[in-house]
Amino acid sequence: MKEELFVSGRNLPNIDPQLHVWHWPIPVYLFLGGLSAGILFFAALYVIKNKGKDLPDSYKKALFVPPVALVLGLIALLFDLTHLFYSWRLFTTIRLESPMSWGAWTLLTITPLAFLWAASNIKLLFPQWDWKYDWIKAIFKFWNENLKYIVWLVILLSVILGIYTGILLSAFNARPLWNTSILGPLFLSSALSGGAAVLIFFSNNEEEKKIFVKLSMLLIVIEGFLFTHMFMGFLASNQVQLEAAEMFLGGDYTIHFWIFDVIVGLIIPLVLELIWLRKQNFSLKIVALLLLFGGIMMRFTMVHAGQAARYLY
Amino acid sequence: MVIDTLKCVGCSDCVVACQTENNVPIGYCRDWVVEAVNGTYPQLELEIRTERCNHCENSPCVRCCPTGASHIVEGGVVLVTHDECIGCGACIESCPYDARYQHPEGYVDKCTFCLHRVKDGLLPACVSVCPTRCMYFGDLEDPNSEVSKLLKKRDYKTLAPEAGTNPHIFYLI
Repeated sequence: MKEELFVSGRNLPNIDPQLHVWHWPIPVYLFLGGLSAGILFFAALYVIKNKGKDLPDSYKKALFVPPVALVLGLIALLFDLTHLFYSWRLFTTIRLESPMSWGAWTLLTITPLAFLWAASNIKLLFPQWDWKYDWIKAIFKFWNENLKYIVWLVILLSVILGIYTGILLSAFNARPLWNTSILGPLFLSSALSGGAAVLIFFSNNEEEKKIFVKLSMLLIVIEGFLFTHMFMGFLASNQVQLEAAEMFLGGDYTIHFWIFDVIVGLIIPLVLELIWLRKQNFSLKIVALLLLFGGIMMRFTMVHAGQAARYLY
Repeated sequence: MVIDTLKCVGCSDCVVACQTENNVPIGYCRDWVVEAVNGTYPQLELEIRTERCNHCENSPCVRCCPTGASHIVEGGVVLVTHDECIGCGACIESCPYDARYQHPEGYVDKCTFCLHRVKDGLLPACVSVCPTRCMYFGDLEDPNSEVSKLLKKRDYKTLAPEAGTNPHIFYLI
């Protein structure tokens, strides 16, 4: 037997008996950040591919999601900071070793870009819209003229943001479930999958839907591949990572993971998309919502289960 | 710091001394006592040890802190600057020893090796009150210090060495 007990009455709030310092705002923030990254990535790709031609409605509508999602995500994040009034300290230093510092600076850059891009779109959706002030018109004139360059910056930032949401967790070697570099690409592919889901949701063009359905299917397969690799890595690793994998293979989080993340979030959308590609006789909106549901559930499972995994010394 | 697990009786005096010295809020603690039972009945082995922040050389908490609030000062002590801490909890998540906690005022708090006392030439509160004198505090870089001599003479272990943190608390076994 191996049993370790605190005999001095240690019962730290949110730490004992099981770590739970990060509550629901963190998975929500990781999901909304990833979703924004996915949408901005595809929107930027649209601009690059279309080369000045007219852009579809899905692009124009979807671009209103990132500013809202980023702001809600940031509010969720601030909600979880216990020393909130010192949060400006994030921006008095750049710490290359800290993924959270990377994330803070990326968000500081990408959020205004998302707002400007969405605002520049108002005129595309509502042609009679008038900005009234010349200086605002000048900003958007500059924006539209340089969009073809800005989108490259957006692609770079959105990839960093998407990867950051996973790397944030994998940087903690104290939590064996998170301590795998697979989380970076896994969260990025889930972020892109969320972006594709939003574009599918807003799309009213069959050809465009087909492209995004195929992309979304590819991303689901990549996610499945990355999950498999994650488990292969854990099962071939040390005791603490074996125990981390066990949480999903018969342990406390088995039902959450397999039912909500894998079956509802990945397999059912994949099957529905396959059926839709053959006979387009149902609305894809349900598929998009299932993908988004799967994305948020995956983050909840990973954040909660990760905190339950620990070193037993 | 060197802790002799063969001398520790688990009286928790160190815990109370720390709480008093550092004004630790009620319900919280910077150090604690663990009783570990190993083996198969009837060959059981009991180890009692007092634990706290390991002031790791390769500190994951310092590495992941987004503001630099968690930092290492001269002598290898890991400290948290309260008014630089945003309370994000990244350091708590990154610590394999669960040695940090969120202070009711919001910032993250933990053992400081009583640096304020050490600077005055005193021992950390926990070391100074230990009735069995199972704790030793000193400079590991000085080969003539008591801690260095003990580590040369006795067998020792660190906690979760597989976490790769190079802890600065050594348990004599």
